[in-house]
Amino acid sequence: MITVENLRKAYGDFPAVVGSDFAVESGEVFGIVGPNGAGKTTTLKMLAGLVEPTAGTASVLGFDPEDPEMRRKLGFLPEESPLYEDMTPRSYLRFFADLYDVPRDVADERTSRVLDRLDLEYRDRRIGDMSKGMKRKVAIARSLVNDPDLLIYDEPASGLDPLTTNVVLDFVQELRDEDKTVVFSAHNLFHVESICDRVVIMNRGEIIARGTVPEIRAKHGETTYRVYTTVSLPQTETETGPDGERHVAVVDDMAAVESLRETAEAAGGRVADIRTDEASLEDIFLRLAADAPTKSTVEGGRGRS
Amino acid sequence: MTDEPSTDGDSSSDRDGIRARLAHLWTQLVAHARAVTRIARWEVSRSAGTVDRRTAVLGLVALVVAGGIAAGAAGGGVALDRDLYRVGIAADSPYYDAVEQSPTLDPRPISDANVELIVTERHVSVADTRTGDAAYGAFRDAVESYNERQMLAEENESAAFPVVVTLQYRERGALVPAGSRVDGGSGGAGTAGDSAGPSGTDGAGESDSPADTTTGDGSVGTGPSASDAAAADDGEVGAPPLGGAASLFGGDTSGSPANINPPFPFASLVLAFAFLVPMNFVIQAYGSSILNERINRRGELLLVAPVSPGDIVAGKTLPYLLGTVAITTVIAAAVGGGLVSIAAVVPVGLLFLSATFVGAMFARSFKELTFVTVTVSVFLTTYTFVPAIFTNVTPIALISPLTLVVRDLGGGSIPLGEFAFSVAPILLAAVVLFLLGTGVYREEDMFTQRSVPLKFLDALDSRISRPRSVASLSALSIPFVFIAELLAIAVLFILPIDVTVPLVLVAVAVVEEFAKSLHVYAAFEKGRFARTIRTSLVLGGLSGLGFFVGEKFTAIAQIAGLQSLTLGQTAFAPAGIGLADSAGVVPLVAVGLLLAPLVLHAVTASVTALGASRSKSAYALSLVGAIAIHLVYNLQVVSFLG
Repeated sequence: MITVENLRKAYGDFPAVVGSDFAVESGEVFGIVGPNGAGKTTTLKMLAGLVEPTAGTASVLGFDPEDPEMRRKLGFLPEESPLYEDMTPRSYLRFFADLYDVPRDVADERTSRVLDRLDLEYRDRRIGDMSKGMKRKVAIARSLVNDPDLLIYDEPASGLDPLTTNVVLDFVQELRDEDKTVVFSAHNLFHVESICDRVVIMNRGEIIARGTVPEIRAKHGETTYRVYTTVSLPQTETETGPDGERHVAVVDDMAAVESLRETAEAAGGRVADIRTDEASLEDIFLRLAADAPTKSTVEGGRGRS
Repeated sequence: MTDEPSTDGDSSSDRDGIRARLAHLWTQLVAHARAVTRIARWEVSRSAGTVDRRTAVLGLVALVVAGGIAAGAAGGGVALDRDLYRVGIAADSPYYDAVEQSPTLDPRPISDANVELIVTERHVSVADTRTGDAAYGAFRDAVESYNERQMLAEENESAAFPVVVTLQYRERGALVPAGSRVDGGSGGAGTAGDSAGPSGTDGAGESDSPADTTTGDGSVGTGPSASDAAAADDGEVGAPPLGGAASLFGGDTSGSPANINPPFPFASLVLAFAFLVPMNFVIQAYGSSILNERINRRGELLLVAPVSPGDIVAGKTLPYLLGTVAITTVIAAAVGGGLVSIAAVVPVGLLFLSATFVGAMFARSFKELTFVTVTVSVFLTTYTFVPAIFTNVTPIALISPLTLVVRDLGGGSIPLGEFAFSVAPILLAAVVLFLLGTGVYREEDMFTQRSVPLKFLDALDSRISRPRSVASLSALSIPFVFIAELLAIAVLFILPIDVTVPLVLVAVAVVEEFAKSLHVYAAFEKGRFARTIRTSLVLGGLSGLGFFVGEKFTAIAQIAGLQSLTLGQTAFAPAGIGLADSAGVVPLVAVGLLLAPLVLHAVTASVTALGASRSKSAYALSLVGAIAIHLVYNLQVVSFLG
């Protein structure tokens, strides 16, 4: 669906993206996460053909990103919702449907269905009079007006209230169920963790981790085990809870868990419970970001002569 | 034998290939046209949506009122000074008709005490007030107009105008003997008993047969004489004679020799100006619409739609262009202009739009846009209007398409060559501006706060994809170079020739060296080419070649006769234009001079390209050097040609 090789973008001397490589499979929700200024938006804009890469290649749906044919199969949602505020959602969506050669009746039916799912009632009100959440829903409907195969959403839930955020994220998950491919950026890692199949973590223009969330966790995160025993052991500490005193030891691997079980049984007790504490994506990201080197510079120009 | 079927097969497959390519081209064209139409329709409906009904109604009312007043004024149907002066006059007075037909004068019975003038058969009594003096002036004008109408209505032309003068306007000083008056004061119909005396003229009058009436070159007019005012001061003056007179404005074909004035097509000029006025409003709306796309990234989603930036720009521009064409057509119909007027004005409208488009693409706020639109308005209005004032005086006037309008309104014919000379640079400049603006119609330039110079460099760089693009861009700069050089000639025209010749040569060198090098500098700055000496020399050579080829376009200046002017020759002879007409230049030398500009342009463009490949300051330094070389060359050529 998408193949990116050594993609670079520099604005003057400032390297916004420093050599990205990744691939997105058809039908998956692919997350690009990172803090502000990590290069997420620039990467997405290069994929959408909005920004010309300084170096490297990208193939989107088998096309060069700047190919108008690719755009026919793409739905793009920028971080802001830059709508024409003097139009109504209906006229706005019809205009874009026209540009994509979507027949009027098909466009009306399609956008009506999307707006129903997003729970947007006011379709003939001026967009300028709408709330931010409503505008976001109109923008999402616009990204689907051409029934695209690929959706590139830049921070789709940015700045929305929790209720609207949930509606939008649920909707993105529904898109996956419809076999749409979604590339999705966010700096809120909870959102990514909940809906993305695979993730790349970017920081200062570079990809610093990649894979499914469990893979990233396994590779970069620390999983710990809290082992509760019925007897006090040298390795355990005593915690006082609602059910009385408990003896708990925190260990890093299953071998240590097994060793504790044997020690507890030797002492006439047993292991009452084992709980796994997994590092959140946010914890992993914060640790990786702290360890990441400073951004390297982008060399040379286009060098054609 | 075996080859024959193969040949047939090849040609058939060639034909199929061509057919397929043509079909593909046609499909592409239709797709672009459809996209442009959709965007244009959307632009119209969206723009209409931004105006509420009350404002639309008020605007419409204002338009109707303004149009009505303009139409009335143009048709003479509205007189704001109607019945301004009261005139006591008997109904059987020979002056009664003249007074009665004048909108300014209100005929009253002689017995009425509240009048500014009392007119009898032989005398006019004037109230001893300033109003009285003004009323007397209006009375004189009314009588003269009346006289002229009478004379023009006379079937026997030689009886009405026994003396016919043909005027030919010549360069000042060429025909006037030493000691003669060149700009003699105006004459005028004298007081009672005076005979109309000849006034000084700019040219020599040549009497001819009665059939030879004065043409568009000559004109007659009238003006009050000093003696009139003196006589009016006495309170009682003689009535003006009922005899031939002329209208205020040039273009009349008959009248008294006393009323001969240099040609000044005032009426046509005012009407031609009417074409420019609406453009200033159209560009405000257009500029706002373009900038609106850039505010808050509104236009970003159009950029990811399956349409090209060219489609978007064309679609957004089309409604305003069509509006300009419609307004121009209406004005042309109202003022009596023909197709020539419309065809001459529409490219000006396109230039207004293109300059505004580029300005709106470069502006970073509505405040900056206001500055842009005002600058475009002032500059282009000046550029087009001022030369038209000299329509009948100098060929330089043809740099403005409004000159064609003035001629068209005056009933003059316009050769195709002169039309092309006047309109082509404007049209080409508009097209090139749209190309440059469309080059920066992309995310990176539209939504960032890059400085105007950087955006300008981006715009130039966007048109360069390979070395030969440098040559094309140099050639495309010619319309601007041409306009700038014509402007220099027009601005410096009034100064003494000793001053203007060197100044024009400097202006030409500066303009041309900038035009040949700026895009090369932009390409190096954007990392388009490797910064090597070899690359610089190749790009310099290509830039010089492109400019040399494009420069031949300026041969169109010959059509308008600009070579007959010293300044015209100064500006264009170094480019090898018009040398074939230069006396004393042998053919071999002429060929050498035709090719010498190629060497000059290649050398100077290489110098600046070398500088541009190094740094900004090196480019500036090399530009100074290239200008100096160019100036020396120009001086040599001009000196050689004498």
